[in-house]
Amino acid sequence: MSEEKVILITGVASIWGERVASRLLAQSRMRIDSVEAGDGHDGEAGIHVIGVDVEPPAEEIEGLDFIQVDVRNPLFSELLKSEKVDIVCHLNFDHKYYRSEKAFDFNVLGTMKVIGACSEAGVKKIILKSSTAVYGAHPGNPAFLTEQHPLRGSKTYGYTRDMVEIASFCNGYCSQPTEMGLTILRFPSIIGPSADTPMMRYLNQRAVPKLMGFDPMMQIIHESDVVEALVKTIEEDIPGVYNVAADGVLPLQRLIGLAGKISMPVIHPIAYIGTDVMSGARLPLERIAPIEWDYLRYTWVADVTRMHDEMDFSPKYTALEILREFNSVQKINRYKGDTMKLYSDDEYLRFIIESRSRIREQEMNENEDVDNE
Amino acid sequence: MSSVDNGPGDEIHNPDMESSESISDEERIVDEGGQTNENTELDERTNTTDIDPEDIQRLVSELDGLVERLKAMDENYSPPKYSPQRLIELLEKNLDRLPLEYRMEIIETLRSSISEDLFDPDTWKGMWYMLNYYLEYQGEKFKRRLTGDYETDEWGYDPEFLDTIRPVFDFLYNKYWRVETTGLENIPEEGRALLIANHSGQLPWDGTMIGNAVLSEHSSGRLIRGLYADWFPRLPFLSSFLVKLGQTLALEENGIRLLEQEELVLVFPEGVKGIRKLYKNRYQLARFGRGGFVRMALKTGAPLIPISVVGAEETYISLRHTAMINKLTGLPFPPISLRWPWLGLVGLIPLPTKWYIDIGDPIPVDQYTPDAAENLILVSQLTNQVRNVIQKMLYERLAARQSVFFS
Repeated sequence: MSEEKVILITGVASIWGERVASRLLAQSRMRIDSVEAGDGHDGEAGIHVIGVDVEPPAEEIEGLDFIQVDVRNPLFSELLKSEKVDIVCHLNFDHKYYRSEKAFDFNVLGTMKVIGACSEAGVKKIILKSSTAVYGAHPGNPAFLTEQHPLRGSKTYGYTRDMVEIASFCNGYCSQPTEMGLTILRFPSIIGPSADTPMMRYLNQRAVPKLMGFDPMMQIIHESDVVEALVKTIEEDIPGVYNVAADGVLPLQRLIGLAGKISMPVIHPIAYIGTDVMSGARLPLERIAPIEWDYLRYTWVADVTRMHDEMDFSPKYTALEILREFNSVQKINRYKGDTMKLYSDDEYLRFIIESRSRIREQEMNENEDVDNE
Repeated sequence: MSSVDNGPGDEIHNPDMESSESISDEERIVDEGGQTNENTELDERTNTTDIDPEDIQRLVSELDGLVERLKAMDENYSPPKYSPQRLIELLEKNLDRLPLEYRMEIIETLRSSISEDLFDPDTWKGMWYMLNYYLEYQGEKFKRRLTGDYETDEWGYDPEFLDTIRPVFDFLYNKYWRVETTGLENIPEEGRALLIANHSGQLPWDGTMIGNAVLSEHSSGRLIRGLYADWFPRLPFLSSFLVKLGQTLALEENGIRLLEQEELVLVFPEGVKGIRKLYKNRYQLARFGRGGFVRMALKTGAPLIPISVVGAEETYISLRHTAMINKLTGLPFPPISLRWPWLGLVGLIPLPTKWYIDIGDPIPVDQYTPDAAENLILVSQLTNQVRNVIQKMLYERLAARQSVFFS
């Protein structure tokens, strides 16, 4: 049996870390099962997934080796060395609306330290999740932004600013000769039943605000395709920067309509002044206006030719399917009352019963083994 | 047949043989131009008011029988459809043949019957159905628009929107500017091509008219993808309007991608310098950009098709530019013109000049490789060549033109 691949996922308590880790582990379990079922063909290496975060994930992930550590810790490279980590998937980001030193330290310095530690520890490749918002929404943008396009992302939205900072740092890093492969995936607005992204918050409003007389083209991706893309880059060696987005580019008005929402046109100077005043008062803009107005005014659609040709990845959901799913989930939520809570509690209890009985069986088996010996 | 007896409702009273005869006589009036005697009988009965549903039934069947007989006599005959106007016309034709008292009576009946029509529930029912249908259709369309159930391509082109707006363009094209287009055969039925035109007239009407010419007069009816200037995306309504019509921002990336998708791309290399020309400089081409359009053609191998537009220059007579207004509005227009700002909004209405759009012979670029796009000398040579061709076409048309406003 060849050597085990060690994958380290930072930010495993966040939704993306959790989902990528459980996806990887589920896949490896399936592979082991199929290998055991077939007669001993174990050419493929198993994987060992280490999760790292400052706090443990809300729900325990089966098979995950969790280590509670801050990636900014200077001894992080020692950990990478001692665990013989091959691949690092960095998903440790703070999605704050307002710029703050704390978030900057966490996002930008955290990423810099992770990349530094990885190159010191001889990690083979590192994967970063980024956003197409780093290109910025400008009137002079081409209809399709390629990966080489200069990064002119917004300086007001904290997360976008940090992403631009990270991307320019990575550009500098990539220009040096290095052994380590670096993959950056840039995703547009993410929509999905469990995602909590600016776009989800934007569409979840009662009446969706929109600038009057502007109808830019929009691009989206489904949350499960985000996970799929990250898993694919972990499993295959595809270094470089890629835009990853669902097929289908829609005008904003049509997107809102397909999501089953009513748009509320706002005269644009008023909208800009309004958010300026609100951000001055430090109101929770991530709820009121989660997407910056410029991003609802000018087009910032990314070109996904390289995703199809070089990365060889095609998202499962098209833009229309994503919005149709969003619409139906919204409709169901309308009828969800307390009964649904009971229902989900029921599910949770079943999960507990099953996992406990499984553990008990395992213990019994072990005891039997001991007895036999 | 029922269309006849559903009319003013005054013929169907006496269900005897006489009445059926009178109806057949009326048929004869329709057929042969009328006979006075029977008409008088018809009018005598108009004042009786008792109606029996059974009688009406019998009458209808009798009338149908009469129609059958009539058809047997003359196969080609079909009664004209009933309408109040036709009834009036028919009566007008035959009125002078009647004695005076009958005439008066007929006029009386007619007057009352037409106002009765308005009180007839059937009339309103018909109108109600029509209105309902119309509203339902429009409502469906509105609902579809609201729920995003319409088609757009990746550039934002919205065919349904274009269909809605087409009548306006057709009016401007056919009636207002009476555009005459020549050389449409130079535009390929399919496949990529780059159209290059002179820009003029303060507002980009010339682009819409070239687009309309190809859309409505070319055999393929292709959509032209115009590339617009970079100050448009900042403007509300206008930016989304242009995008819905399949236009896009003038950038080399956009142009190349469109040409690779085998589209017809229209560029105005003069850009803003062309559109804001002063009246004294009319029909003198400004600098042709930096040759970006030639690079686009060389990289994609698309033929260059020169187009000259004559007539658009005179839609506004611009006399002078004031930096202050331009700075205040952020737009390259409006300049001080003959009518603006003196006449207020009237100054914004373009003048109804006579337009000519001439489409020249294509200039192929097949002999060059895509690498030739980096050859600065070749690019500037081709730019000048295209510019000279368009300038020559302009002068030819201007020399042949008799009048600015009339053909």
